[in-house]
Amino acid sequence: MNIKIKRFLKNPYNVAVNTFKVRGIQFIITISFTLITVLAMLFVGIIIYSKYSISLEENATLSTKQLVNQVNSNIEYYLKSTKEVSNLLDKKIYLNQHISNSKLKDQMNVIQNIRGDIASLAVFSDKGELIIESSTSVLKDKVNIIDQDWFKTALNKSDNLKFSLPHVQNLFNGKHDWVVSLSRVIYFYKGNERIRGVLLVDMNYSTIGQLCQNLSIGKRGYIYIVDSDNNIIYHPEQQLINIGLKSENREDYLGSYLENSDEGKRLVTIKTVNYTNWKVVAVAYMSEILDFKKTSTNFIGWILFVCIILIIFIFGFISAKISHPIKQLERSMKRVEAGDFNIYIDVKGEDEVERLSTAFNLMISKVRYLMGQIVIEQEAKRKSELNALQAQINPHFLYNTLDSIVWMAENKKNDGVITMVTALAKLFRISISRGQNIITVREEMEHVKNYLIIQKIRYKNKFEFELIMQKEVQEYKTLKLILQPLIENSIYHGIEYMVDEGFIKISASITNGKLLYEICDNGLGIDPEKLKHLLEYKEKENTGSGVGVKNVHERIQLSYGTEFGLEIQSKIEEGTTIKIWLPLIKD
Amino acid sequence: MIKKNILIIFLFFILLISPFLFGIVNLSTKGEVEPKKISLILKTQSGDYWRNVRMGAEVAAKEFNVKVDITSSSEETDIDGQIVLVKAAIERKIDALILAPNHYNKLVDASEKAIINKIPVLVIDSKLNTNKISSYITTDNVKAGEVAGKKLISLCNVNSRIAIINYVEGASNNKEREKGLLSITSKYPQMNVVYMDYVASDSKSASVLTKKLVLGDDKVNTIIALNYISSIGVAEAIDEMGLAGKVNVITFDNTPEEIEFLEKGVIQATVTQSPFGMGYLAVKYAVLNLQNKKIPSYVDTGVVVIDRANMYKPENQKILFPFTQ
Repeated sequence: MNIKIKRFLKNPYNVAVNTFKVRGIQFIITISFTLITVLAMLFVGIIIYSKYSISLEENATLSTKQLVNQVNSNIEYYLKSTKEVSNLLDKKIYLNQHISNSKLKDQMNVIQNIRGDIASLAVFSDKGELIIESSTSVLKDKVNIIDQDWFKTALNKSDNLKFSLPHVQNLFNGKHDWVVSLSRVIYFYKGNERIRGVLLVDMNYSTIGQLCQNLSIGKRGYIYIVDSDNNIIYHPEQQLINIGLKSENREDYLGSYLENSDEGKRLVTIKTVNYTNWKVVAVAYMSEILDFKKTSTNFIGWILFVCIILIIFIFGFISAKISHPIKQLERSMKRVEAGDFNIYIDVKGEDEVERLSTAFNLMISKVRYLMGQIVIEQEAKRKSELNALQAQINPHFLYNTLDSIVWMAENKKNDGVITMVTALAKLFRISISRGQNIITVREEMEHVKNYLIIQKIRYKNKFEFELIMQKEVQEYKTLKLILQPLIENSIYHGIEYMVDEGFIKISASITNGKLLYEICDNGLGIDPEKLKHLLEYKEKENTGSGVGVKNVHERIQLSYGTEFGLEIQSKIEEGTTIKIWLPLIKD
Repeated sequence: MIKKNILIIFLFFILLISPFLFGIVNLSTKGEVEPKKISLILKTQSGDYWRNVRMGAEVAAKEFNVKVDITSSSEETDIDGQIVLVKAAIERKIDALILAPNHYNKLVDASEKAIINKIPVLVIDSKLNTNKISSYITTDNVKAGEVAGKKLISLCNVNSRIAIINYVEGASNNKEREKGLLSITSKYPQMNVVYMDYVASDSKSASVLTKKLVLGDDKVNTIIALNYISSIGVAEAIDEMGLAGKVNVITFDNTPEEIEFLEKGVIQATVTQSPFGMGYLAVKYAVLNLQNKKIPSYVDTGVVVIDRANMYKPENQKILFPFTQ
């Protein structure tokens, strides 16, 4: 485990490659396709998203601005109309020399009835006496008009029309409305005296509130109004502001800016109302504007996630489909590599792979054919070599035989010479046998007999021999010259050095449905170590005593297959038995 | 054959998971959550004071997007009724409870049952005898008593005969006001507190009592009423008797009736609380508490003494007159 980790630390890339079989086609296709698709999707997604969110923010800012403009112009219009009421009354009063007439009061009454938002209309003299007012309300007993703000402002300020701060109007019995007062200096005549007075128009909040609340900026956004000194004129949560549970801080700035508050980023838009010192302030919560952005981010994210998973599955599937036949091909090739040529691949895949596998099959069958050819050719070559070898009569044998004949002739042993020469002639006849490879068992036994006759004379009756042949066997076919080299071996290695008389028994029979030759001798036997390796085929070992035995074995196996051949049993000092198995062949 | 099966299984798998995946997508993009439910149980619905609490709560409910349902016992002495309301609220599985307890001790069990049911409880107006509540939002009644006491002292002289009219025994706020008041008056031994008792929860009985105190042997010439209902009764009695200005009246709260009497000079001074702020803050802190934010365990909504001379000062206007459109 530790080693693994260390290796990983040393070369993470390789370990990863090995662990995940990164070089596999399937993996490469899946990963690369997925990566490319995901990157493309991300790229497109991010571009669209960023464009979209920028335009979203721009739109939000723009729409807030438009909203503020709208509220602004509405309020402007409203204030203007209130001013017009004031102007109208001013004019009326200016034209009417006698101010305290019922006509004027009626007119004021009508105005107040039409304009529900006007709380009171009244004219005061500069001493604070009530001259005329619209309604039937009764002025409070001990009220001090002169000290009231709107009264002082109207008299002190030169620019005529003035909106006051919100206050509770403290004039009439039973009325405690919050109003904004518009007061101005007017001149009227009382008797013949020209008097300076104050005209008061009180607006309640019904219209201002409506104008500001009808337009919503998101769920939590709101609009409020301040004057030039940042005193609040109207706020949708005015009560909270009044009792100090809320406050508004804003920069002295016209236009739009972003600010950070406890409740997150806010977009504040400020615009001045014309002809007044009022400013309309709109507050929009960026989180609300961006809420949609957030949900769409989420949505895009999830879509991406789902798509990536689907893509991985789909590409995994596709790449598996592509790589499966290739893998099959690879497996088959591995088997070929291991030496199995008996393979036919039945790959049904994409066109290319199918063609590839067809070509592979073709190649394998060609290889198989060629290898068969080679084996056949090799066998043929070897056979012919061996045949050539077997055809050669050992020259020493010939010289020795001829020497023996000469020797016998010199000693006038005519019978012996006749026997020897006859045997030699027969031997050669069968040996050559018109160049044929296959002879009958009878002929083979005849050949052996002649050979043994010669050898027995040559070795001066050092051994005896016996030939036994079943009658049925006689006409079966056999490879020629398979017994002679074995007997030669028996004599040279088994009997020649014996002290006692040797004995060789050769039999031919049908055993277990096969043709069986048996060569038994009572010679010295074969060393077990040597016996073990006697029949093993070795290249370039054509010398020594085993050559003949091996040649015979190989010839039989080459001709008839591995189930036939030699079987040697031997015991030191007791003798050797060689069984030669051949198929039963007739003609 | 096997390949075909794999294909079918694969398609089946995709079919199987795709609604699940898109379900996740839908869930993740589903923005709105059900607004939290907060139950506000008042002492009573009648009267200007509680109307202002209600208004404050409603403003906060709108601001913080919660559902506040407001119930109350029929009158401030109805302790059992309020216990029933608390239990019913627990049954409804509300998210938070705001309670103005009618009794210092008798509502503890019901409230703690709510807390056991994982409903945070915020108490307003009057104290509740438990330390398990999340927050106590109220007028500092001891301080209110003290402020009233100081005003009383400034209006009195050696000849003053003082009557203290309290209201509804059992609710802690009235007791605390009395305590604060007495802590001031006791420093002035020359002050003659000739009467001090509770009256029933209607202005009529306060009115009757006032006439008795003023015209009777007690010869009371300074009355302090510790609650707006009895305040109105006292003021009405003084007005009826035409003794405005001759008998000093100090009251609590700023109902329109009291303001009228203040302007007329019947009431010399009134101690204003901030019921609107109380309602607003209670809901606000309940919401913050539900959002696992830290909230103060005690909030003083403040008291201001207003008399006839300063009632139209801009800062006092704002306190005295609720903003209306």
